[in-house]
Amino acid sequence: MPAEAQRAVETIGGADLVVGIPSFNNGRTIGRVATAVSAGLAKYFPQLRAVVVNSDGGSGDGTQQAVMQAHHEDASLLLLETPLSATHLLSFPYHGVPGKGSAFRMIFEMAHRLGAKACAVVDSDLRSITPEWIDLLIRPIVVGGYDFVAPSYQRHKYDGTITNSIVYPMTRMLYGHRVRQPIGGEFGISGRLVERYLRHTEWETDIARFGIDIWLTTVALAEGYRVCQSYLGAKLHDAKDPASDLSSMLEQVVGSVFTLMRDYEDRWQAIEGSRPIETFGFRFDVGLDPVPVNVARMIGVFERGFRDLEEIWKLVLRQETYAGIRTLAESASSGGVFHLPDDLWVRTVFDFACAFQQPPVARGVLLRSLTPLYIARVASFVVETEYMVADEVEQRIELLCRAFERNKPLLAAQWRGEPVKEVAHA
Amino acid sequence: MPNGFGQIFQGVLDRLHNQATTVLPGLLAAAIIVLTSFLIALAARALLYRIFKGLAIDRFLRRSGVAYIMDKQGSFRATRLVAEGAYAAILITGFLTGLSAFNSQLADHIIQGFVLLMPKLVVAALIIVGGVWASQYFGRGLLVWAVNEGLPAPRRLAAICRVMIVFISIVVAADQMDFAPRVFLAAFIILIGGFVLLSAIALGSTASAEFKRFFQGAGHEPERIAEKSLWNQL
Repeated sequence: MPAEAQRAVETIGGADLVVGIPSFNNGRTIGRVATAVSAGLAKYFPQLRAVVVNSDGGSGDGTQQAVMQAHHEDASLLLLETPLSATHLLSFPYHGVPGKGSAFRMIFEMAHRLGAKACAVVDSDLRSITPEWIDLLIRPIVVGGYDFVAPSYQRHKYDGTITNSIVYPMTRMLYGHRVRQPIGGEFGISGRLVERYLRHTEWETDIARFGIDIWLTTVALAEGYRVCQSYLGAKLHDAKDPASDLSSMLEQVVGSVFTLMRDYEDRWQAIEGSRPIETFGFRFDVGLDPVPVNVARMIGVFERGFRDLEEIWKLVLRQETYAGIRTLAESASSGGVFHLPDDLWVRTVFDFACAFQQPPVARGVLLRSLTPLYIARVASFVVETEYMVADEVEQRIELLCRAFERNKPLLAAQWRGEPVKEVAHA
Repeated sequence: MPNGFGQIFQGVLDRLHNQATTVLPGLLAAAIIVLTSFLIALAARALLYRIFKGLAIDRFLRRSGVAYIMDKQGSFRATRLVAEGAYAAILITGFLTGLSAFNSQLADHIIQGFVLLMPKLVVAALIIVGGVWASQYFGRGLLVWAVNEGLPAPRRLAAICRVMIVFISIVVAADQMDFAPRVFLAAFIILIGGFVLLSAIALGSTASAEFKRFFQGAGHEPERIAEKSLWNQL
């Protein structure tokens, strides 16, 4: 923790709530986010001492100044006339390896030293945040005794495809809780879970640097903390792509899921099925930005991948899985309906997960070679759900999750190096 | 005359006897040494196959891709590597020891040459194995990257990368062994020069086509294909 942050902790003495905003060059949006956060704290928790901390990665666009200048007009914004307790607004650059993980670490250290009962983190590029988000992320902890609050959003059917096709079904199948947005980015965390996170040793690894969101969720689930989710409405970002490409994003997220599988292998192998978790917040429909997709190009990417990545896929996939992928490629080249069945996709992900533990090729290469298969899955999903409405799409995702759960014994056997018997379709 | 013939015959017999008493013990000793070393090598190989596991080396061989170079299925194991290595080493040592039993200048030259060459041979072999490993590592990385970036002919790109790296390792290994270093170096320079020239021609021809397209269809932007952003993936 930087010296100025330590001095601020000593000056403030203590706080009940800490809200962290990690940032890097988010000068355009962070002022609004900080305003919404401090308004939320003032409106919903006026009786509690609160601190808002911006943990910045060395922005050069005035991000820190934007945070310090953030303010809200109490009467007009909150419709309140009673005096409100002042919220401390702080901004410090974090130290250590660049990444969201290091930013979170500083926020958690401050929350811990201030003795906070609850801590929340929100992204700094949000355009749709409202003061209610703070209430929805913190109240289940302060009032309900929960340890971890995950977000739940309304998203376009083609939005969040890594979440829908890999991260949500895998997390649900492995740890038995239906956390709909395990890598949402906004979380509420209890003081005792913050302490647990800080005791972990993964902060210097790639997981903490790149896969911090899935790491937070997985630790909470696998270590038996009380987990719930809050419905926040729509999540709109600032229109700015991250510096990385799709395959490196996939590598970071999926690599983190697979690494955590190894860390918690005793836990997930003992879990059967899944159960819903408590969901807070009033569910309402919102208009969503359309998500453009180009199915023909996606199928083309898969076909090229099948043609050129044979030498790697044959090392990673079992014979049966590879045969299924070959059939899919043949069907694509003959112009048939492009459909990647759920069970084939599940087995593909399982094969990659098991190969990741004893990789026949470098791990980065292995994970990046998943990209054309993932794109094939997205293309198949888009074709299948083209005329479906939101609820029907959610039902479709539910079917995929059940396929993951149904095939879990297959994963466990493959993981242990035992012969794999195909699971009968339900 | 008979006396003269007898003397010649006796002389031949003496020379044969002399040669036999000089060479035969050495030959016999060499045969015994080679046979013994062969038996020891067989026993050592059988023993190593039974007791040596080398799981960490196996892991390295698999991850580095060396296992897949030695065997297409990737089932090449460290046990085999170590056992066969020990077998060959004992056999070679036995053969050289057997040669030394002849106590001749030629045998000494062969042994000396081999002993002096041995370290260089080992280093050269390691350089080539390292080169093959690096070619697999970078070749596969390039292959996956090229596929994900949608570049044309990814397999060809990866193959070129592999050939270049292996060729560089051969040049270095040849230099290490003082084996026709100038020939290899010249071949290397010609190859690299040719590659650069080819790339320049390819770039030039592509650029001219691009210029042509630009001037012919100035003002016409290519139709952009609607794509979802990276954020939408998460």
